[in-house]
Amino acid sequence: MISLSKPAKYVFIGKITLRSQLAYVADFIIRSLFLILILYIFMQLWQTTYSGVGSSSINGFTFKQMMWYLVFTESMVLATPSLCTRIEEEVKSGDVAFKLIRPVNFITFHYVEYMSEVAIRFIINLLLGSAIGLLLVGPPPVGNGLVWLPLLTLGGFTVNFMLGMLVALSSFWVEETRGLEFVYNKILFTVGGMLMPLELFPDTLQKAGHWMPFQTIVYFPARTAVSMHHGEIASMLALQGLWAALVGSVIWLVYRKGVRKLNVNGG
Amino acid sequence: MLTADKKKSIKTISEQAEAGKLRRLLRFTTACWKLNLAGAMEFRFSFLLTVGTMIANNIVWIIFWGMYFERFPVLNGWTMQDVMMMWAAAAGGFGIMSIFFGNATRLANLIVTGQLDVFLSQPKPVLLNVLISRMSVSAIGDLVFAIFIFVGFGDVSLFGTLKFALALLLSTMIFIFFCVLAGCLSFWLGNTEGLSFQLFNALLTFATYPTGIFKGFGRIVLFTVIPAGFISSMPVSLIREVDLPFLYGASATAAVLCLAGILLFYRGLSRYTSGNMMGLRR
Repeated sequence: MISLSKPAKYVFIGKITLRSQLAYVADFIIRSLFLILILYIFMQLWQTTYSGVGSSSINGFTFKQMMWYLVFTESMVLATPSLCTRIEEEVKSGDVAFKLIRPVNFITFHYVEYMSEVAIRFIINLLLGSAIGLLLVGPPPVGNGLVWLPLLTLGGFTVNFMLGMLVALSSFWVEETRGLEFVYNKILFTVGGMLMPLELFPDTLQKAGHWMPFQTIVYFPARTAVSMHHGEIASMLALQGLWAALVGSVIWLVYRKGVRKLNVNGG
Repeated sequence: MLTADKKKSIKTISEQAEAGKLRRLLRFTTACWKLNLAGAMEFRFSFLLTVGTMIANNIVWIIFWGMYFERFPVLNGWTMQDVMMMWAAAAGGFGIMSIFFGNATRLANLIVTGQLDVFLSQPKPVLLNVLISRMSVSAIGDLVFAIFIFVGFGDVSLFGTLKFALALLLSTMIFIFFCVLAGCLSFWLGNTEGLSFQLFNALLTFATYPTGIFKGFGRIVLFTVIPAGFISSMPVSLIREVDLPFLYGASATAAVLCLAGILLFYRGLSRYTSGNMMGLRR
């Protein structure tokens, strides 16, 4: 707790991460070309689907809304760094020993680093994705939802960090964790609503999805941005806060247990 | 003085030597694969976890397409079964490449970091030696997944199995030699690791979406620059029913990629400059 009493140091950690990320913007833009590719594929897929259905709206989503929904979800998911790679490497190389003896909280340190990295990457992805969206389907549906996007995105990335960290902490017990992260990411793609909005799911899965934390990550911000339902913002933010607190508590317990068990070689 | 008989016997010895060379090469290749597998199996739990998670990873795509086809039963003539067979052909081809020729996707990195030195010093065909010297454990999950999908959704009769085996062969050839071509760019353009990866990623991504959704320029690209169309079209043009023009086109593309890949690699090798990295292979 002593380490949390000085938030200024975390601000500096965030600033340093931002600076180092800004040094690699060009590299990240090249890697973001995948975003263009995937948006093009989804445009083709949904264009064919809408023309096959013969309707301008599917479950309340027009083609334009669907495309902008995908711009937001893909921009968020592709901005997320791999926590498993990071923690796993720290454990394998022994660097984790240095992290643990520093006067900073291990989890908070990674959270600040993660959020700073995500901020730069998300802005770049959003700019690139918006350019593609504008070019392919025209401007996004303008509404109050866009105003709430930054706050819901912050909440979404926080829950994503919590769940990602929970998976990454398993590297204190097992050697390879990236496979588990693969599976987590794919759950986010489907049940989390990255590939299509929850409204298009079969009823049972849709109901199940509403009881899981995955919907709070990309579905909440993207759905709100393209089709805001009045009166839902407060419950969405509350749910994000609830899941962040709940998963955060589990992380704290797992971390305390894992750090006692950890054997570090090298460093 | 050599008699005709003696000449004949010399020729025979030479032929036997060639046959022996091929046999030795085959023995070397299988020994390399066995060692790669033994290395991967060293950490049994990690091995099973990696393979299992890759299968689970692919199953998620079945869930996505399952949800899609429950809502929209047909996609421009493509059914759920076609999409599953497309996944079987793509995951199977990718799996075989990554298991048996695992360095195909890492060629650009090996070239720019000077890691070809160790292969050049060995009396084996360089490209083959490079390609087979690595095995991706997670790709075993992809191949197992492809086989499960074929058994679950495909035609498991003798003819159906032969068609699927042909689809896997063509898909593997396209994957390997497209990656070799993309990796070889490093011989001329310097560090093209990012570009090579993007090209491979484009091939893999396009190969896992039905060709039927692409129109116009996008469709042309899929059958030329990024030949993913030949992989993703397998379910409707080879596995469901044999479309001969498609089969000829896919075979010719695989053959051209194979020849171009080998030619470009050995041309590029003459431009290769060694690094100062010390490497050792047993």
